[in-house]
Amino acid sequence: MKKTSSRATVLSKSYSFLIYLLLYLPIFIMILFSFNESKSMTNFTGFSLRWYRELFSSGKAFEALKYSLIIALLSAVISTVIGTLAAYGIHYMRSKALRSTVTSVTNVPMMNPDIVTGISMLLLFAFVQVILGMQHSLLGFGTLLIAHITFNLPYVILSVLPKLRQMDPSLSEAARDLGCTPVQSFIKVELPFILPGILSGAVMAFTLSLDDFVISNFTIGNSFQTLPILIYSMTKREVTPDMNAICSIVFVVIFVLLLLSNLTGGDGSGRTAFAEKIRRHKKQIMIGVSALLTCVTVGIVFLFLFVPPPVEKTLNVYNWGEYISDGSDGSLDTIEAFEDWYLETYGEKVKVNYTTYPSNEDLYNKLSSGAAEYDVIFPSDYMVAKLRDEGMLEPLDFSLIDNYQYILDDFKGLFYDPGEQYSVPYTYGVIGLIYNSAKVPDGLVDGWGAMRSEELRGKILQVNNPRDAFGIAMYDLDIDVNTTDRAEWDRAYDYLAKQKSLVQSYVMDEVYNKMESGEAYVAAYYAGDFLFMYENNEDLAFCQPESTNFFIDAICIPKNPARDEDTYRIANIFINYLLSEEPAVADAEMICYASPNSLVINNGEYIEYMSEIHEDAMDILYPEDLDFKAEYDKYCYRLLDPETNRYMNNLWSRLKIESGEGEDFDPTNIIALSMLAVIIAAAVFFAVRRKRREKYYS
Amino acid sequence: MTGRTRDARPVAAAPHMVWAVLFIIAPLIFVAVYSFRGADGGFSFENFAALGDYTDAFVRSASYSLIATVICLVIGYPLAYAISLCSPRTQRVLIMMVMLPMWINFLIRTYAIMKLLEDTGFINGTLQKIFGEDFELHMINTPGAVIFGMVYDYLPYMVLPIYTVLSKIDPKLGEAAADLGCSKVQTLFRVTLPLSVSGVVSGITMVFVPSISTFYISQKLGGGQYLLIGDAIETAFASTSTYSVGAAMSLVLMVIVLISTFIMNRFDKDSSKGGVVI
Repeated sequence: MKKTSSRATVLSKSYSFLIYLLLYLPIFIMILFSFNESKSMTNFTGFSLRWYRELFSSGKAFEALKYSLIIALLSAVISTVIGTLAAYGIHYMRSKALRSTVTSVTNVPMMNPDIVTGISMLLLFAFVQVILGMQHSLLGFGTLLIAHITFNLPYVILSVLPKLRQMDPSLSEAARDLGCTPVQSFIKVELPFILPGILSGAVMAFTLSLDDFVISNFTIGNSFQTLPILIYSMTKREVTPDMNAICSIVFVVIFVLLLLSNLTGGDGSGRTAFAEKIRRHKKQIMIGVSALLTCVTVGIVFLFLFVPPPVEKTLNVYNWGEYISDGSDGSLDTIEAFEDWYLETYGEKVKVNYTTYPSNEDLYNKLSSGAAEYDVIFPSDYMVAKLRDEGMLEPLDFSLIDNYQYILDDFKGLFYDPGEQYSVPYTYGVIGLIYNSAKVPDGLVDGWGAMRSEELRGKILQVNNPRDAFGIAMYDLDIDVNTTDRAEWDRAYDYLAKQKSLVQSYVMDEVYNKMESGEAYVAAYYAGDFLFMYENNEDLAFCQPESTNFFIDAICIPKNPARDEDTYRIANIFINYLLSEEPAVADAEMICYASPNSLVINNGEYIEYMSEIHEDAMDILYPEDLDFKAEYDKYCYRLLDPETNRYMNNLWSRLKIESGEGEDFDPTNIIALSMLAVIIAAAVFFAVRRKRREKYYS
Repeated sequence: MTGRTRDARPVAAAPHMVWAVLFIIAPLIFVAVYSFRGADGGFSFENFAALGDYTDAFVRSASYSLIATVICLVIGYPLAYAISLCSPRTQRVLIMMVMLPMWINFLIRTYAIMKLLEDTGFINGTLQKIFGEDFELHMINTPGAVIFGMVYDYLPYMVLPIYTVLSKIDPKLGEAAADLGCSKVQTLFRVTLPLSVSGVVSGITMVFVPSISTFYISQKLGGGQYLLIGDAIETAFASTSTYSVGAAMSLVLMVIVLISTFIMNRFDKDSSKGGVVI
């Protein structure tokens, strides 16, 4: 007997160990590589604190962490209080119908996809904003907190309810028979019993809130960022190792805190002693809890009063991720430099509130939903056209933008802004093929054909957005990318469907890691990004196919009736500042895309800097015999009419949803079906057995 | 004060009920309004008709998340059981260790798994050092990788509720069973397991729901090849033109989830009634 039990212990110990290993392996690897001196997350090249230094040098991550912690703490406490009371109430509801209604409604945010909860709340807040006739967006600290409490509540209730169910109902009946009021009975009887459930619910609420990205993304607005939101906006291109660094710090801090609380908290005599202790120190605990609640309430009031703080003038700038020089590696911090320069020149303080977005469509959604307010945005050409057509852009005040004279003529008066009223070009670029010359046979990549090469099966990266993916297919098929002919779109679709089984994955920002590490051999992506990758892997090469897309990202001011004259003026001054030599060169060096600014391309330092990255960098970015205007006119993406745009999006979803041609049969459906069959059979078996037993016993 | 005093305890749920009406029900009404809104702004079923294109994604999501949930249960229950057998102090440390990975943002965790599974990733790198350069175990961008990601991300949600229930089971019940001649295995199946059904039900719900609606995991670990319904909804909302279709998809997804949760709740009710008898 003793022997079997010790064998069982060994078995269960080694089993637990294995599961813990599985849970922790990725995290340990992440921590390990946060100390890596190179960017690689596969080869450990040497110990270095470089990423920690980079992390500490930018206050952004800590600012975001601070907000994450505040939101998580507040929402956990509030949802635990409301949730525990709710569980208690639900447990004692007489009416079954009422109880099940309340529980089902409670479970909705948990059962709903996060994304739906996020979207639905966004719709609600937008609606309230319209009803109240508010000019300013409602989204901010308050809405984020409401959203977090809402999705935390069911988790708290779900961890408290089982505890209540396990409790002997005669206990509380006895308490009431002995003269306890419901409140007394709750505090003296139920609370100590369900406390473990409450605590685990609170901890769960805290972690969920800290971890949440999807719902926050829709309810946060643009006045501040939480850590997941920051991480997401940083992943526009890739997750840099300084993210590993901050996650490692969070992990270690929390690990130590939890360990400490466990070592000092218990005397080892277990759960009953714990409950006993609570019973004995009831009064102190009640005082402590009410003190905590008071603090939290005061904290909330405080936060609502002071977040956002009543500071000087603010300018809300909304840009692509990593699309401005940010002071890393000793470069110019454009935003900071502007604030300093503005203070010096105008004797007035201005605070630039800089946030980032991952795509034109996100920008458009944020603008059109009124979810956030921006003063300066950086849309791509076709998006400028769309925004302008829909009356969402404010004309610029060119009397404040002197430096517009340095923009090359090629980039003025293009289709998206023929009257030169609404936009100033910021960067431009070309999409081409990036390939690994060490892995790909010579001469294989000489045009779009490489994207459907059987030889490169499983090593091809396609762009993960419909316009570019269809664009590439159309360039290869020699179709006009702005066609409205459905048959042409269908041809492009067939091309992409055939290509799907060759494609390793559809990527945006992941392209960096996958190309640099050699995971993939060829990718369609922008020339500027190629230079970035080349810095980390010199085997990479760039090929510009004959017909290909040129794009321009421009600077605009969106319409916002709530904006005052002064902010509008500062926005124009900011744009003018971006076009002046020093910041324009710094930004161009940082972004690595081509610049339409003559101050930049004639700057000797810039040319030298680019040539250091890649000896042909200037030729790749600025091909000598390029007639830009002609090429741009012929190949750029124009604004598709809504019908065609919808058709393209439908084709794109179909492409992504349907299994690739010639792909192996997906066995998961069979596995899932058989699992379902086993579960149903087991359920039936047990139900029948119970019925029989009940019959037998009665 | 004649007869029974009215039970005031359910009133405790009142703040929550107000909250639920304001921030759960009202927003969902907006989703419903959107999904029944046609292109012309009037009432229409056209968004639901458009869902036919997404059958593959629905089926794929359902089967992946079912498999992931079953794996989580099969892995998680023994773990929760093993933890509940330890000394109270060890229990607390071990359960904290289950929760700890949840403190790392899932964007980062998923990314870390991707780096682990890639053809040039950590696992393959290590294997290549052992078995030679040509060895390659292809894992990334397969359905298996997506399911692994779901299991990895959501396993704690299975272990925690089961453990919470197990830890509350009176050890005397086990002793009684042993006195009556039950072996350890018999005690597990006849006493412990039936008593822990409410935890299992919570666990299954907590794993199945996020799995069926996930969108980031499949993009990173499936290379965008195995589009799940969460991805489809995200895409629909990211490109404004299919906003209403996205709302319709969410409604359908909600119904699927509601039905499966309803079934799970019935399990819970049945067994808590006759739990000890079995």
